[in-house]
Amino acid sequence: MSRFEESAPARGGFSFDLCKRNEMLMQKGLKPSSYLKTGTTIVGLVFQDGVILGADTRATEGPIVADKNCEKIHYMAPNIYCCGAGTAADTEAVTDMVSSQLKLHRFHTGRESRVVTALTLLKSHLFSYQGHVSAALVLGGVDVTGPHLHTIYPHGSTDTLPFATMGSGSLAAMAIFESKYREGLTRDEGVKLVAEAICSGIFNDLGSGSNVDVCVITKGNREYLRNYMLPNPRTYVSEKGYSFSKKTEVLLTKITPLRELVEVIEGGDAMEE
Amino acid sequence: MGDSQYSFSLTTFSPSGKLVQIEHALTAVGSGQTSLGIKASNGVVIATEKKLPSILVDEASVQKIQTLTPNIGVVYSGMGPDSRVLVRKSRKQAEQYYRLYKEPIPVTQLVRETATVMQEFTQSGGVRPFGVSLLVAGYDDKGPQLYQVDPSGSYFSWKASAMGKNVSNAKTFLEKRYTEEMELDDAVHTAILTLKEGFEGQISGKNIEIGMIGNDRIFKVLSPSEVEDYLQEAE
Repeated sequence: MSRFEESAPARGGFSFDLCKRNEMLMQKGLKPSSYLKTGTTIVGLVFQDGVILGADTRATEGPIVADKNCEKIHYMAPNIYCCGAGTAADTEAVTDMVSSQLKLHRFHTGRESRVVTALTLLKSHLFSYQGHVSAALVLGGVDVTGPHLHTIYPHGSTDTLPFATMGSGSLAAMAIFESKYREGLTRDEGVKLVAEAICSGIFNDLGSGSNVDVCVITKGNREYLRNYMLPNPRTYVSEKGYSFSKKTEVLLTKITPLRELVEVIEGGDAMEE
Repeated sequence: MGDSQYSFSLTTFSPSGKLVQIEHALTAVGSGQTSLGIKASNGVVIATEKKLPSILVDEASVQKIQTLTPNIGVVYSGMGPDSRVLVRKSRKQAEQYYRLYKEPIPVTQLVRETATVMQEFTQSGGVRPFGVSLLVAGYDDKGPQLYQVDPSGSYFSWKASAMGKNVSNAKTFLEKRYTEEMELDDAVHTAILTLKEGFEGQISGKNIEIGMIGNDRIFKVLSPSEVEDYLQEAE
């Protein structure tokens, strides 16, 4: 069960145990992990009553679309959600793990989780893996101290922003935000802006596509609008379904039972202890 | 008298086949404040006395009944600090189970894992057994359930049970009053009356604690004013 133990924060600062080994590996030719541009558009913005998060739904495996409708907005706590870009397994595992830690923390303290708690747990985990956990996250939520929006980079640095975008479609989405964002947006304006930014990513970036997911978090309430917009429907679906040509003929049907192969050993010894 | 020579080491059996430390742990439980639990047809209720050492203690800061998961709660008799450790471990185990199987932990599984922890402390070096018995109340797909876990690590499923100081009187009272068709509200009243039996002084919402779980499968600890309401109904 040790694999599933929570990683407790290390005592007494950075542990330099593996630095020598890393040096040796780099001299032998191992390249340190570089920041990968990832196929995703994820955004978040703060509006007058809380936070709105948005994401596209395409998961890519190189040039192939692996999942046309995946969920990139992950649950962290009833009042905190997190969008993830990067390696899907990394974002899933990291958000799952921190969500678990937050739940235990809520039991022990009897209080609602705070966004900065999730932020610190995530960034310490990512920093301790020195960027090898390829997860770029947009974390947003509303707690007792108000609405918060943060971005977290794979190496463990964070920003606190009123509007944020991450992923390969981040430039397309940021262009929309920079021109149209203002403080004090209403809920409908905010959702419309987020959807527009994600659509910009979907249409202008190859790594993003399919549908728009939106999550609106306000004090005491959250709305997860899965597939809020479907700007990429299948254009043509034949009503008749598929019909195969009649050239295939059944010539013969024969069922051959498999013969059981049993070896009989004469005079074998009984199993000895 | 030969037993006393074997009573210092936890991991040594006495000639009569007992582990004397566990017997002593049960004595510690038996001198703790009374707690009890009743399984009704549509839920479970657990209750305990909350006698504080002095009137100067802020009773709102003391909570004996704890939530382990949204649908499982626990109360103890015996040493409070020991129960805190067990509650913490149980919560963590429940969370680990959820992370592994993506299913809320069934009550029997959680009880079994807690009992395993308690047993480990009876067979390790340098530790002592826990001085608490726990009453675990939960509601899952198998319906309402009530379990008692002892310091030795053995656990039993009960329809109604009591532990602590007044255990024999309480159990006799429960045996007379318990019916299989009892509903949750009746169970709460019966629990209050059972606690009243052995209560020294005036019973009120501030010196008892009641936790219950019904068909909604959400365990909640009643606030002092809610307890007062039930107390008045039970009069």
